Amino acid sequence: MKNIISSLLLFFFITSVSYGNEDVTDQILKNLRCLVCQGQTVSDSNSEFALIIKSVVKDKIKEGKSEKEIYNFLSDKYGDWILLNPPLKKNSYVLWFLPYLLFILGAIFLFFLLKKPKIRP
Amino acid sequence: MLSNLGNIFVIIALLISFILIFFSLREFKTNNNLIPGKIFKFSLIQLFFSISSFVILLIAYIFSDFSLVNVFENSHTNKPLFYKISGTWGNHEGSLLLWINILVLFSTLFLFINKNRDKNFKILTLLFQNILIVIFLIFLLINSNPFSKLFPIPLEGLGLNPILQDPALAIHPPLLYVGFVGSSIYFSAALAALISKIDSRSLAISIKPWVLVSWFFQTVGILVGSIWAYYELGWGGYWFWDPVENSSLMPWFVMTALLHSILVLERRIGLYSWVIVLSILTFTMSVTGTFLVRSGILNSVHTFASDPSRGLFILSFLMVMIFYSIFIFFKYAPKENKQFRMFSKESFIIANNWFMIFFLAVVLIGTLYPVFLDTITGSKISVGPPYYNLILAPFLIPLLFLMTSGPNYKWISSEVKSFFNLVLVVSVTLFLITFFLIQENSFLLNLILFFSIYLVTQTLFDLYESLKRRNINISRIISHLGFGLLIFFIYVNHIFSIENNFNLKLGETKKTTHHIIKFDNLEEQSVKNYKSIVGHFSISDLKTLKSKELKPEIRVYDKPITITYEASIKSNLFSDTYLTMSNISDTDIFNIKFQVKPFMNFIWISVLLLSLGGILNFFNREKNEKN
Repeated sequence: MKNIISSLLLFFFITSVSYGNEDVTDQILKNLRCLVCQGQTVSDSNSEFALIIKSVVKDKIKEGKSEKEIYNFLSDKYGDWILLNPPLKKNSYVLWFLPYLLFILGAIFLFFLLKKPKIRP
Repeated sequence: MLSNLGNIFVIIALLISFILIFFSLREFKTNNNLIPGKIFKFSLIQLFFSISSFVILLIAYIFSDFSLVNVFENSHTNKPLFYKISGTWGNHEGSLLLWINILVLFSTLFLFINKNRDKNFKILTLLFQNILIVIFLIFLLINSNPFSKLFPIPLEGLGLNPILQDPALAIHPPLLYVGFVGSSIYFSAALAALISKIDSRSLAISIKPWVLVSWFFQTVGILVGSIWAYYELGWGGYWFWDPVENSSLMPWFVMTALLHSILVLERRIGLYSWVIVLSILTFTMSVTGTFLVRSGILNSVHTFASDPSRGLFILSFLMVMIFYSIFIFFKYAPKENKQFRMFSKESFIIANNWFMIFFLAVVLIGTLYPVFLDTITGSKISVGPPYYNLILAPFLIPLLFLMTSGPNYKWISSEVKSFFNLVLVVSVTLFLITFFLIQENSFLLNLILFFSIYLVTQTLFDLYESLKRRNINISRIISHLGFGLLIFFIYVNHIFSIENNFNLKLGETKKTTHHIIKFDNLEEQSVKNYKSIVGHFSISDLKTLKSKELKPEIRVYDKPITITYEASIKSNLFSDTYLTMSNISDTDIFNIKFQVKPFMNFIWISVLLLSLGGILNFFNREKNEKN
């Protein structure tokens, strides 16, 4: 059972990461908030801050760092605020799991509301 | 002069609200079965003064009367007339006055056109509406008065934020406000229905037109906002899951749920309490949306007017409103003990509600969780597009499936239908063709594409059937078709979008996988209220060898001094070519963002189809009520 759940989670995770055909750098830049702008991503901004982050990410990719390592590096430096995809941590369990919990609660509620069809002879 | 007149009109409107509240309370107790003429008269007078106050503000803007702080802060004599007019609601105070105007207009309309014979129901709806009007008018007078005076009178105004000087954004707020405020009517009507105990069919018939109208305007309002973001913000996206966008989407989910539930209520099958909960929730979400936008507690691309004191007022109002609604609900809610048959139309509608409420919950959690976390623990996190895409996308599959099969089930029935039919065969064939053309590997994306094709095929078959049977009520079919196409084109657009970021100097050429981009020329232009640097680029497609001219701009507005980046978009039926340039400071290098975005026009048209269904239903309402 545990394996099924984890493979399902993995499946959704992978499909979301491999969205589209942009290269890795662009994908990373799109998931970073430009800290000096109003709600822009680093990829969309040309502020000095965004330019610095862009070159930092490019360098890290050249060094052969993985996507995850780059996110960790940036969040250590600037805090989780910079990551538009909130990492699964103690403080984001509610954020990630509450929606699913509510969906399941809804299903249970519906189960009791709906009459099962009578089997006709 | 205008300032005093405006204030006087607003105060008169406020006083009439008190009179109307007094009359309604007195009338509610009598056994008389007719609403007295004086209530109608006072409502009309209130409408007159309310609209007049708005007209006065409009005049102040048109003639640039800078003795009003509001006009001084948001207008300028050099501004084109069109933006002087739209500037009236392009700021917090003016838009609040517009909000109140729509509220008064709708209350009056409800009083005059609602055919429900139950006097108490109408009187109570009017009472609740006027309580809302009083609250918003007091908020306007105390905290956000557009008629505040300024002395000495300045010669020139500060100007309107140039990003807001745009035709799409000029009509965007009024559209959304009709949606937001329209929901106040069924909020009040729901509370009135509880107290006056009217039956389910009368309630459904009373609120249905309002739900349809507000849903239609909300949909179109979101569409216009999205189109604006697409060409004005210059990033090529059309939906950023930004808090402000979310706050227009949240009421939309509840409205959509309500739109479906009313169909059940109309047929007296049940859901009376649930419709009331949804009605209350819709308006609550509208006010929450306003709170989130106006208080500035959220970091957003769309925040142009924010001030914590406004937030505090709206938040307190929200708390009181929720508290009283819950109180009235539990005091008066009738007991219902309904069970629904599993394979009936009403069950599928309930399933729709389940999904809509789930979507609402996801967006609400995503928007508010960071705020709560920041307040409680002080740690800041961001919730951006990846979160919403990851959580919501898988749920589109069952939703699309339910939308495909649900509508063909019968009311109060338990007949199970077979899936294996011609529609499925056609859909699978179409999907295989698409799959061959797209060659997308992601399993999730393929599933979404398949189920959206399935929905589109089914609705097209349904459309053919109903046209053959000369059935005029095709609103559901049109809306579902629109939704199916929307999801299909969003994902196809996503798969085929090309984006290239690079730096160029004047005269240089950049070769990408499919295109050659040449930076030909740079010229300076001076327009009425801004100066601009226009870049000339020629884009040649390596496959078709066709060439295009694109001219992105960097604009420098002088009042107030703002730099904006204007994208240059060449749009043809199937694909948009999108180019923005921005200067890198202290160099002669320009940063170029080149994008090819297929099917953008199809995305817009799909949303139009979706909303068209709503308005068709509005006009077919009379016919439906008879059968």
